[in-house]
Amino acid sequence: MTKPRKLAIAACAVLTGLTLAACASASGSGSSNTADVGPNSNVSFSAGVTGVVNPSSAQGGTLTFAENSTPDSFDPGNTYYSWVWDFSRLYATPLVTYKSCPGSCGLQLAPGIATGLGQVSDNGLVWTYHLKHGLKFEDGTPVSAEDVKYAVERTYDKSVLPNGPTYFQTLLADPSYPGPYQDRSKNLMGLTSVTTPDPYTVQFHLQQPFPDFNYVVALPQTAPVPPDRDTGANYQLHPISTGPYMFQSYQLNSQATLVRNPNWTPNEDPEAKQLASKVVIKLNVNADDIDNRLMAGDIDIDAGGTGVQAAAQAEILSNPSLMKYSDDALTGFLWFAYIDTKVAPLTNVACREAIEYAADKTDQQTAYGGPYAGGAIASTVLPPTIIGYQKTDPYDALTQPNGDLAAAKSELAACGQPNGFTVGLAYRSDRPREVQAAQSLQAALARVGIDVQLHGYPSGTYYTDFAGSPDYVHQHDLGIDMGGWGADWPDGYGFLDELTNGNTIAPSGNTNIEELNDPVVNRMFAKATNPALTEAQETAIWPQIDQQVMKDAVILPEVYGKSLLYRNPAVTNVYVQSYFGMYNYAVLGVSS
Amino acid sequence: MAGGMLIVFLVLMAIIGPHVVQNPDTYNSNLINPTFSRPNGPWGGISLAHPLGVEPVTGRDMLARIVVGAQYSLLIGFLATVLAVVIGVFFGIIAGYFGGWVDVLIARAMDVFLAFPLLVFAIALIGVIPDSAWGLSGNTLRVFLLVFVIGFFAWPYMGRIVRGQVLSLREREFVDAARSIGGRGPYILFHELLPNLVAPILVYSTLLIPTNILFEAALDYLGVGLIPPTPSWGQMLSNAVTNGFYYIDPMYMVIPGLAIFIAVMAFNLFGDGLRDALDPRTR
Repeated sequence: MTKPRKLAIAACAVLTGLTLAACASASGSGSSNTADVGPNSNVSFSAGVTGVVNPSSAQGGTLTFAENSTPDSFDPGNTYYSWVWDFSRLYATPLVTYKSCPGSCGLQLAPGIATGLGQVSDNGLVWTYHLKHGLKFEDGTPVSAEDVKYAVERTYDKSVLPNGPTYFQTLLADPSYPGPYQDRSKNLMGLTSVTTPDPYTVQFHLQQPFPDFNYVVALPQTAPVPPDRDTGANYQLHPISTGPYMFQSYQLNSQATLVRNPNWTPNEDPEAKQLASKVVIKLNVNADDIDNRLMAGDIDIDAGGTGVQAAAQAEILSNPSLMKYSDDALTGFLWFAYIDTKVAPLTNVACREAIEYAADKTDQQTAYGGPYAGGAIASTVLPPTIIGYQKTDPYDALTQPNGDLAAAKSELAACGQPNGFTVGLAYRSDRPREVQAAQSLQAALARVGIDVQLHGYPSGTYYTDFAGSPDYVHQHDLGIDMGGWGADWPDGYGFLDELTNGNTIAPSGNTNIEELNDPVVNRMFAKATNPALTEAQETAIWPQIDQQVMKDAVILPEVYGKSLLYRNPAVTNVYVQSYFGMYNYAVLGVSS
Repeated sequence: MAGGMLIVFLVLMAIIGPHVVQNPDTYNSNLINPTFSRPNGPWGGISLAHPLGVEPVTGRDMLARIVVGAQYSLLIGFLATVLAVVIGVFFGIIAGYFGGWVDVLIARAMDVFLAFPLLVFAIALIGVIPDSAWGLSGNTLRVFLLVFVIGFFAWPYMGRIVRGQVLSLREREFVDAARSIGGRGPYILFHELLPNLVAPILVYSTLLIPTNILFEAALDYLGVGLIPPTPSWGQMLSNAVTNGFYYIDPMYMVIPGLAIFIAVMAFNLFGDGLRDALDPRTR
C-alpha cells in the first residue's frame, strides 16, 4: 500500500500547529453568579452546526475576515493551513471540492471544475477527470486541462513552494520530477504521470491503487494555474482566480481585498456563491481584538476558525444574547494518548485496558478546555465528523466519565500487576492544554496504583526525536504518549492509516506510536484498498478497524476537539462545514 | 528589619510549611465548574478548606502549591547565589589584587559573561539536557541545572564589586604592613583583604538572591524549569497567562505574583537595611 508518509506527518504537524491557537485559547467562564447559565438554556446556540443560519440570496456589501496570524501562503499550491484551504475556495476551484452544506453532508465530495468525480481504470491505476466547458480565468482566458496539470507540476518544487501537501509526489508514477521551475522540457509540461489527452481531460497515473484519490484532487493544489502567469513564490500575491472572487490588492501579511470575478459563473463551482461585492481579510490582528470586533460587528468572521479566546468565551457562554450567535463546532480532531504495546508491562492487553478504565475522562475534558472549547468526551478513535464513525463505548467513557476503578483494578490483577506499575508519559511541554492533560492523567492513574512519570518535550521535535522514535520510547519507558490527530480528508483511511496500520511503524517520525501491528487491523486495511470495492463496502470497514483498535486498547481517546466560533449576526448563509470544522467561507454573504 | 522578619517567615514557611499543608498534587474536580473550568465561588474558590482558593482546571489547593513552590524558589535562589558568590569573590579578589594581565584576563572574561544572552542560553541548555545525567534524574537534575545556570552566569556582578573594592584596599597601609612582614599572596588575600570585604559581599549577596529568584521564575515561566506537577511560582504565572486564566480567574495570577513580589521585596529590604547598617556613609 502506498504510504504518504512524509506527507501525512507534515499534515499532522501543520494541522496540530493550527490548533496551537486553539490550545492557547483557554477554557473559561463568566462571573460566579452566571455559573449556572449553560449554553443549553438557549435554543439557537450552535444553530450553524446543524443548519444554515440566515439563508439569503441578497447581493452586495463587504464581507470582512480577520486573522490573528498570517496564512502560510494564499497560493492554492502552497498551503497546508485548513483555514486557507477553506478561504481559497473563494478564488481557486480545484477539480473536485466538498459539498456546501451543513452536517455530515459537508463531508461529501462534489465536482469542482470537473464534470464529476474521477473515473478509475479497472486496475485502479489511472484516474480520469473531465473539465467543464467554457471555464475562464479572471482575465477571460479559457481554462484548459494543461493548466490543471501545470498546477500539480509546480507543487513538486519544494524549494519554491514548500508548504503544501505532497500526496501527488508519493502517489503518482513520476516521483522524481523536479517541478516546472527546473523543467527543461518544451512547454514546461514534463510530468509524465499527469496526461492531458485533450483540453478537457486530465488523467493521473498512480504507482499503486489508491481508492481515496478523489480526496487528493480535492486539495486546493489542483486549482488551475496558467503557466505564463505563474510567478513562483510571488504567485501568492495574486493567484489567478477561477472562483467567485479575485484579488484586487494584497499587501503581504497585512490585508487582502478581493472583488467579484466577472468571468465566473455559478456553473464553474456550484458549491460557491458570489453574494458580497467585496471580501476583505485583515491579517496579523490581535486575537482578543478580533473577538471584540466580532462582537461589535466590525468584523464578520474570524478566518482562523479555531474559536474565540478565553475572555470572549467566558463572555459568550454566560450571555444568552451572545450565545445565539455562536456555534460549538467539532474540529475533526481527536486528542488522545497512545498506549505503547512494546513497553512493559503494557505489552499485556489487560494492563492497557486498566489505563483505559482508570482514566478520568471528565478531568481530561476540563484539561483540554471544557465541553465547549475543549471537546466532547471521546470513546472511539474516529471523531464523529469522519466518514466511518460509529458510536461505541467499549470502556464506559461516556457512562462512567470519572473512570471505572473497579474494572481497572480487576484488569490490573488479570495483568499480574495488582498493585499497579510505573510507566513514563511523554507530552509536549509547550502546549498548555497538553501539560494539564498529562498531569490529570497522572493523578487519575495514581488512583489505581499506576505511577506515571512525566516527561515533557518540545513540540517541534516531538514526532521526530522523542515520542515518534520507537528506540527513544523504549529506552525511556514512555508507555503513554499524549497526542492529537486530524486527517487531511474526512474518511476512515485518511484518519486511521498512519495511526494504526502496522506497516506505518517507522524508526523516526513514527505516527503509529503505540506500535500496533495487529494482523486483524492490517488485513482490514489491505482489504479496503482493493479497487473493486464499492464506496459503501469501503466505508463499512472503518468502524471495524476502529473497534478492533479499541479492543487492543492502544489508544486512550480523550476528547473530540471542539471550538467555539462566533459569527457576526449580519452574516448570511452561514454554517459550519464539517470537513473544515469551521464556517464555509465560500458561500457567505452580508446583509446591510 | 521588616525584610528580615519576612525572610524568616518565608524560610520557616518553606521548611515547615510542606508538612502542614495538604498534598499539592491532589485534584479536587468537584470544586471546578466543568463548563468554564474555573473554581466555583468568588475569589478563585477561597474557602476555609482552601484559604488561597484552588487552581482552575485541576482544583489543586493554592496554599499548598504556593508553600511547596516557596521551598523550590528559595532553595534555587539561595544555592545559585552561593555559587555566584564563591566564584565571584574568588576571581574578583585575584583580579583586584594581582592586577596586570591576570586582571585583564579575568575582567574581560567577566565582560563576556555579562554580555552573554543568558536567557537564550539557559533555554537552549535546559532544552537539550536529557531526563537523567550524572546520576541525577527528574527534578533533582532540574534543580541542579537551574542552580548551575543561574549561579554560573551571575558571578561577574559579584566579581566586579569585589575587584573594585580590592583595588582600593590593596593600596592601604595594613596591606603594606602585612607585606613588609613577609606575608605572601594567599595570606594577604584571605586573611587581610577578605575580612574587610565581608560587608559588601554580604550586602550584594542579599541583593542577588531576589534577582535569582526572579530569574528562576522566568525560566519556569518559559517552561524550562521544574517538571510538573511540581509546584512552581513561575509556572503558575505562566499557566495563568498562556491559558488566559487571568481573565476568568484573576486570583490564579495574583497569588503567585504576590508570592514572588513578597519574596523579592523581603530580600531587597533586608539587603538595603544591611547596607545601611554596615556602611554608615550611605545614610
